[in-house]
Amino acid sequence: MRRIVPLLTLAALLWIAPAMAADPIPGGLAGNIYPVPTLPPTDSQLAVAVGSPMPDFDLPTITGGRVKLSDYLGKKNLVITFVPAAWTPVCSGQWPGYNIARDIFEDNDAALIGITLDNIPTLYAWTRQMGDLWFPVASDFWPHGGLAQKLGILRSDGVSERALFLVDKKGVIRFIDVHDINARPDLGPLLEAMAKVHAEK
Amino acid sequence: MKALALGILAALILLTAPGSQALAAEASEAPGAKPLAVGTAFPDVPLIGPVSPELADSLGIPQNGPTPIAKVKAEALIVEIFSMYCPFCQRDTPTVNELAALIDKRGLAGRVKIIGIGAGNSDTEVDIFRKKFKVPFALFSDATFAVHSAVGQVGTPYYYVLKKTPQGFTIVAAHLGLIHSPADFLADVVAKAGL
Repeated sequence: MRRIVPLLTLAALLWIAPAMAADPIPGGLAGNIYPVPTLPPTDSQLAVAVGSPMPDFDLPTITGGRVKLSDYLGKKNLVITFVPAAWTPVCSGQWPGYNIARDIFEDNDAALIGITLDNIPTLYAWTRQMGDLWFPVASDFWPHGGLAQKLGILRSDGVSERALFLVDKKGVIRFIDVHDINARPDLGPLLEAMAKVHAEK
Repeated sequence: MKALALGILAALILLTAPGSQALAAEASEAPGAKPLAVGTAFPDVPLIGPVSPELADSLGIPQNGPTPIAKVKAEALIVEIFSMYCPFCQRDTPTVNELAALIDKRGLAGRVKIIGIGAGNSDTEVDIFRKKFKVPFALFSDATFAVHSAVGQVGTPYYYVLKKTPQGFTIVAAHLGLIHSPADFLADVVAKAGL
C-alpha cells in the first residue's frame, strides 16, 4: 500500500495536468492584457513646471517598503515614470524596456521609480510578469492619486497620465514629458536630459 | 512516507516544468496582427538608422539609410521584428546571437544574413538593445511603426525568412515567438530557402 499511494498520487496529478495546461486563458503578461480603446491624449492640467520643486511624496512599494523624496535628495537624480494602469497594452511594454537601461541610469547617477495608481496587490501581480525589475515600483493608490494630483497628472477617470519627471539632487524638476497616453515615450529625450543634469557640477 | 513525498515531488516538478507551460504565450501580442503569407513578396521596406562599416559592408548597403531592404546582399535573409520593450525579445536575443554564430560557423555568412527591425523603437532605443545584448548583426529603427505596419503588425519577436529572387525578397517561412533551437531554425532556413 505504501508503494501504491505515491504512484496513485502521481497518476492523479498527471491526469489533471493537461486540464491545467489547457486553461483557455494563456498565462503571463502577453496573454492577460486588457484591451483599451484609443483615449484622449491627455486629460489633466499640469500643476508643476520645469524649475518647480518636486512635491514631497511617501508611497508604499510592492516589496513592502516605502519610497520618499527625501531618500534621494542630495544623493541621486531621480526619474519618476508614471504609467496609467496595470494590465493595459502600452504600459505593460514600457517598464520592461527601462529594465534593460539600468546602466544608463547608473552612469547618470540617477535612480528610477515606477508609479501607478493601482493598489499594491495588483501592481505586484502585474510587475511579477515582467521578470525582476531593478527599480522600485510604488503605488499612488491611497489617498487615490495623491501625488498625481499634486503634479497635475490625474485624469478624470482616476488613472494617471503617462508621464516622466526628472528631478535633480536639489529636488528641482528638470524635465517633464506628459505623453500621449496611447503611445510610449521615446527614451531618447529623457536620456539626453539625464546626461545634461549629470554633466552639471 | 518517503516514497509518497518523492511521488508528490515528482508530480510537482512535472507540473511546474517549463514544458507544462507550452501554451503560455512566448511573444508580445500585437492587436490586429496580420502576418504576411508565406509565398508572397516581402514589401521593400526601408532600413533606417546607422550601422557599423563592417555590417554595412556585409549587407552591401550604405552605413546611413534609409536603404530599401531589397538592396541587401543575401541569398536568404532572416528579418527579426523586435522591440527593446518586449521581454520575450530580450529573452530570445542570446539564442538569436547563437544563431548568428552558427551561420558563421557553418560557413554560410556570405549567403544567409540576419537583421533586426525595432518596431516602435528610435535609434537610441535600438542602440540600448544592441549594447545590452551585444547583438552582432545589424539592427534598424522603426520609430513610427511604419515598417511594423507594412509587415503585418506582427507580435514580437517575429521572424520572417526571405529568399532573394530577381524581383526582390519572397517570404519562405515565418515564426512567432522564441526560437528554441538555433540549429533547427537554421536547418529550416537552409531547406526553405533552397540553399
